[in-house]
Amino acid sequence: MASKTKVEDINRNIYDIKDKDNYEFKMQKGLNRKIVEEISKMKNEPEWMLEIRLKALEAYNKLELPTWGPDLSELKMDEIATYVKPKTNLNTSWEDVPEDIKNTFDRLGIPEAEKKSLAGVGAQYDSEVVYHSIKEDLIKQGVIYTDMETAVREYPDIVKEHFMKCVPITDHKFVALHAAVWSGGSFVYVPENVKLDIPLQSYFRLNSPESGQFEHTLIIVEKGASLHFIEGCSAPKYNKVNLHAGCVELYVKDDAYLRYSTIENWSKNMMNLNTKKAIVGKNAQIDWVTGSFGSKVSMLYPMSILNGEGARTEYTGITFAGAGQNLDTGFKVIHNAPNTSSVVNSKSISKDGGACTYRALVRVNERAKGSKCSVSCESLMLDDISRSDTIPVNDIETDEVEFSHEAKIGKISDKEIFYLMSRGLSEEDAKAMIVRGFAYPVSKELPVEYAVEMNNLINIELEGSIG
Amino acid sequence: MDIKINETPVRTSRNFRVNNITINNIDIPNKLDEFKNIEIIAQNITTDCNKENINLVYGNGDVLLSNINKEKNSSLKITTTGNNKQIKLVYSFDDKNLNLVNDVFLDIKHDSNIVIQYCSNTKKECFHNGIVKLIVRENVKVNISIVNMLNNNSYNFDSIENDLEENSNLKYTIVDFGGKYSISNYYSNIVGNGAKNDLKSVYLGIDNQVKDINYIAHLKGEKTDINIDVQGALKDSAKKNFKGTIDFKRGCKKAKGDENEFCILLSPKAKSIALPMLLCTEDDVEGNHSTASGKVDQKSLFYIMSRGFSEKEAIKLIVRARFNKIIERIKDDEIKKEVLSQIDERLN
Repeated sequence: MASKTKVEDINRNIYDIKDKDNYEFKMQKGLNRKIVEEISKMKNEPEWMLEIRLKALEAYNKLELPTWGPDLSELKMDEIATYVKPKTNLNTSWEDVPEDIKNTFDRLGIPEAEKKSLAGVGAQYDSEVVYHSIKEDLIKQGVIYTDMETAVREYPDIVKEHFMKCVPITDHKFVALHAAVWSGGSFVYVPENVKLDIPLQSYFRLNSPESGQFEHTLIIVEKGASLHFIEGCSAPKYNKVNLHAGCVELYVKDDAYLRYSTIENWSKNMMNLNTKKAIVGKNAQIDWVTGSFGSKVSMLYPMSILNGEGARTEYTGITFAGAGQNLDTGFKVIHNAPNTSSVVNSKSISKDGGACTYRALVRVNERAKGSKCSVSCESLMLDDISRSDTIPVNDIETDEVEFSHEAKIGKISDKEIFYLMSRGLSEEDAKAMIVRGFAYPVSKELPVEYAVEMNNLINIELEGSIG
Repeated sequence: MDIKINETPVRTSRNFRVNNITINNIDIPNKLDEFKNIEIIAQNITTDCNKENINLVYGNGDVLLSNINKEKNSSLKITTTGNNKQIKLVYSFDDKNLNLVNDVFLDIKHDSNIVIQYCSNTKKECFHNGIVKLIVRENVKVNISIVNMLNNNSYNFDSIENDLEENSNLKYTIVDFGGKYSISNYYSNIVGNGAKNDLKSVYLGIDNQVKDINYIAHLKGEKTDINIDVQGALKDSAKKNFKGTIDFKRGCKKAKGDENEFCILLSPKAKSIALPMLLCTEDDVEGNHSTASGKVDQKSLFYIMSRGFSEKEAIKLIVRARFNKIIERIKDDEIKKEVLSQIDERLN
């Protein structure tokens, strides 16, 4: 019998270190009007925001759970605390962040990365952002990078105009939930023609057990401006289910460019039901780079809405599911204007009984004449107890279109292994090289420190040559 | 009544508008007189009336299935007794035979070529709701074609199921031209080791025709093989949903599955949805799928027109060229000719 490549699980040591559940305030579990009002009151919010929250709560109660995708029956909202305030306020210096929280981010390498390669950092711990900073020269150019609560207070007009407009509160049940109890997240505003050459990064850490994180990210890249934004997330593992239902709204105005990179490494008790959408203007471009490694269940399908003529989008994503994981990920794109284009490149690896699903939508509307779309997805199965599904919908409503989609599924090719072995590599090294090569188109798109992290994640260790 | 049918084996988001199709205000006929216009040409077979209900794994939903089990006005069970160059069944609709609710049970123990045709000799609305159930026995080769050439006022519901035993080889060809609504559900249970199923189909939608095509193959045996190739063209405001699923079940070591769909859009109002699914719980397999859609290749069009053809004629030639390799598989010259002339007629 052919030997099986043993791909080790991601080494989670750093991520799994739990801090004491040492909060200033933890909301009672469950969800009702009183809880929503209390969150709003604690945040000292304006009336209009409370109204949005209450409308969203109403929508949440009306909307059904999805009738498709992974099983969500383990998620019991009555057992989840929607708001956990850490024992600190927003800080602009790491020195002021309490020791235990600072240590967590130190271990994750955030302050180090900030010094080396970032133009600004936001760090959220449970429900609140505990640290935010941005380089002086960017402030001078009018760039705003702050937590969402500050943005609601200080830039109410911009927030009002954009908040829950890209993603309507009735989009699905977990968006409604998010809008009702959202807390934390980042707000970025890049003025016209300002180009950031090094990235901004927000890191989200959920420490408290049986709780949810509902951060809201709102990014507006004005005409001709350009930004690279990185989002990282992790949590230690608990026995009970935690919930992440964040929402990301991106506005990429005419001729602007946004690259949105995500490394998601939640613990394996996390339900990751996240929503991300971008509205893209004339000749503007949004690129998504996504690595999904953690969580018990993920349902995550970033979406580009190409509203302006000549708008472009690229999606590059990798999903890696191990034991007990059901990662249902993919991409949605709506071509809404002439001469728009999209390129999708998705990879997935399933092992040890993990399940990967690539679920996608490409819709080319009648007015999107002259549009082009090319989709490619590849799935690698590392054993016969895992699962890998590809469920892409292609909805084409105009004849003036060039559309193609292709997908492949299978194991590591014996021919490739044979070839590499004939060149002197051991079987283990050959297999390792093939898996790394499989992931390379994605890892090369990631910022360097994440690419290293990802290579560690997919670090291959082989146990004996006879499997 | 309204019916919701042709469910995909795995659901996806409702907003994607592809999980099923709803047909509104349809009258499902009952208390039917026997359908008399059936022509059967064959040797080496025994025929009988199929008395048992055929329980389908998928099919076109409970309402239409119970319509067949309770109300069928034609039923046929065919068992082969020797090799067959041709088994031909032609169901001709006319003013006196407007409704056909039928099942055909084919137990094929010898190499056979089979053709089943539905055609309208009337402009009135015809209704066809039928099952074709096929068992291909060990080591047997079958080439079967189903040709739908009903008029464009009609309803056509096809539920097709196959069981493939060890080392059997099934070539299936479906020509789907007719019907206001033409809904086809195809399920192949490829369970015997070494069994192969090659499914090729063509569809042509014009005016307001709606096609909902749902092909499902379960690969269960070792070294099994499925190859799905669908070629289509949509003109005017025609609409098509193509759902193709290759499901590699645990244990189907060394199985292969390929799926390819290509849709030529001949009008800015034509609408094409494709959902090519690959489901996989076995690692030692090879699965590929691809779909593409777009206008007629402009270079080919220019070339043919530069040779003196009108644009319409050139488009016809290009569509025929794409369809030809599939139509060639029909083992009946008369029907083949009719199919080709229908392409010309429908693209006029």
